[in-house]
Amino acid sequence: MLTEREVLSTIEMLKNEHLDVRTVTLGISLLECASHIPDIFRERLRKRILSHAKDLVRICDEVGDKYGIPVVNKRISVSPIAVAAAGSSSSELVKTAMIMDEVAGEVGIDFIGGFSALVEKGIARGDLSLIEAVPEALATTERVCSSINVASTRAGINMDAVYMMGNTIRRAAEATASAGGLACAKLCIFANIPQDIPFMAGAYLGVGEPDAVINVGVSGPGVVKKAIDRALASEKSLDLGRLSEIIKRTAYRVTRVGELIGREVAGNLGVPFGVVDLSLAPTPNVGDSVGEIFQSLGLGSIGMPGSTALLAMLNDAVKKGGAFASSYVGGLSGAFIPVSEDLNIATAAKEGILSIEKLEALTSVCSVGLDMVAIPGETSAETIAAIIADEMAIGVINKKTTAARLIPVPGKRAGDKVFFGGLLGEATIIPVRDGGSGGFVRMGGRIPAPIQSLVN
Amino acid sequence: MNTENQIKNIVISVLGTDRPGIVASVSKALFDNGCDVRDVSQTILQNEFAGIFVVSMRGETDFERLQQSLRQSLGVQGLAVFLKPITQGAQEEVLPKGEPFVVTTMGPDRMGLVAGITEVMAGFGVNIMNLKAIFRGGNDPTNNIMIYEVNVPVGLDQRTFREALARRARELELDLSMQHRDIFEEINRL
Repeated sequence: MLTEREVLSTIEMLKNEHLDVRTVTLGISLLECASHIPDIFRERLRKRILSHAKDLVRICDEVGDKYGIPVVNKRISVSPIAVAAAGSSSSELVKTAMIMDEVAGEVGIDFIGGFSALVEKGIARGDLSLIEAVPEALATTERVCSSINVASTRAGINMDAVYMMGNTIRRAAEATASAGGLACAKLCIFANIPQDIPFMAGAYLGVGEPDAVINVGVSGPGVVKKAIDRALASEKSLDLGRLSEIIKRTAYRVTRVGELIGREVAGNLGVPFGVVDLSLAPTPNVGDSVGEIFQSLGLGSIGMPGSTALLAMLNDAVKKGGAFASSYVGGLSGAFIPVSEDLNIATAAKEGILSIEKLEALTSVCSVGLDMVAIPGETSAETIAAIIADEMAIGVINKKTTAARLIPVPGKRAGDKVFFGGLLGEATIIPVRDGGSGGFVRMGGRIPAPIQSLVN
Repeated sequence: MNTENQIKNIVISVLGTDRPGIVASVSKALFDNGCDVRDVSQTILQNEFAGIFVVSMRGETDFERLQQSLRQSLGVQGLAVFLKPITQGAQEEVLPKGEPFVVTTMGPDRMGLVAGITEVMAGFGVNIMNLKAIFRGGNDPTNNIMIYEVNVPVGLDQRTFREALARRARELELDLSMQHRDIFEEINRL
């Protein structure tokens, strides 16, 4: 028999603390669709996605209803298009992106990821075509997301690719100038990209993955914050060790939800279950914020001194609790700090408490990186590339995933506001020290892979 | 066939104002009458004790004599006793196979809340396995809660059942949720 407390605390998490499954992402391999004739590739792509994903939304909704846990987003990730459609020209790849967008609409999902290339060690012809196609592909589609891996701990940092992405980001922003550079919100530059990320914009299906697979992204910043608040209300003298224990337990509960829903959706779809991504993923809603957790733990705001230590503790506790709760953990697994998508973090940036330099420091201890950071539209491609290079270096040296999702908002300066809408939220443009990095970035080549001993 | 050696199962319910020693008194009386306790469940509501004992007894023990003996020994202690023989196989006949769900309601107190919700459940053949209802009165929803653990028969159109419950909840001004029991187990238990 369930206890009253078990039932009521679960319902409280659902109704008032934004407990949900943030995304169920169906990975679909497109490698068997390969053809040297682009039209045939696109037709195979369409049929394959439709046959695997036609019931995805219905099944997610049914399973969500059964357990009373909403599956907020249903998404698809595919094999890197630069690999699956290698040999296509840029213009053909733009058409492929449009078909991906169309078929995503047909199956009722909001994002499809995998317009991607892996170029950490070198740029193949197919990769180059894809990167050249990215601005137009993202500007002419609604749902297509792109990720480019430019660095890894084993390969180092491909600075030619980094510079190329600085230019690509600017072109993508200009192609969507009237929407605040929205295309850049669908473009992530990675170091050490995992093959099984369920979250956008970084989701793609790695070449070592099965034909089709379900990966789940959980959420829960609201649940963690309320658990901390409740614990402190009942015992004011709790120290950080005991609070970390409370975060661990809460992460366990949140992750169990993702595991249960993911396994059932996978079973009903007849595909294997992949991983749970243990990320604390915020939304622009009050009470669903990673930034608010900083305040519950005694900091005036995210960005103030102490933020990096706090985030390190939070991220570690989430991983410990989540790892125990799930049989397979993967993806990004950590706390997200997407500036525009978290109301509290956006406010800290607006008030000047959170600078791009502090954000960069925070990314050394949490998952992802400089995420949804709006910067002045005039920021040069060289400066953007240099910021990306810094972020990649943190990932490469620390053997972790880092990413940059930077949006140089056309026509806007530091302090101006930009509105993206929906889950992407709104942000104040963060000041960036522009100029002075071009000489370094233009040198090109590849920063060698780091030594794996002498770890200080 | 020697009927005297047959095992009979009996369900015995005991009611009374709660105090230490009730279970001890009942189980001693059962022991004295040659009954073997198989299952026990007890609860206390607003200081009133209710216990259900499933016992087995040898065929030679007379049901009427047992009833008389228990009522006599426990009645003087202020406990009301009710006995019923269990028909073998009755459990399997009564309960269809189903899936466990939890229906929870919160809302302002008023007459007829339990009757209103359970009428819908009965109409769909949904069996209540456990029920906990607390009504402290007033309009604070957290003071007036019902938690039903139910068995939803396999093959029942869950969507229609869910909609019927939601409709009744709206009529009763209740906030109702219906979730598979596994979600509570997964979140709360190792």
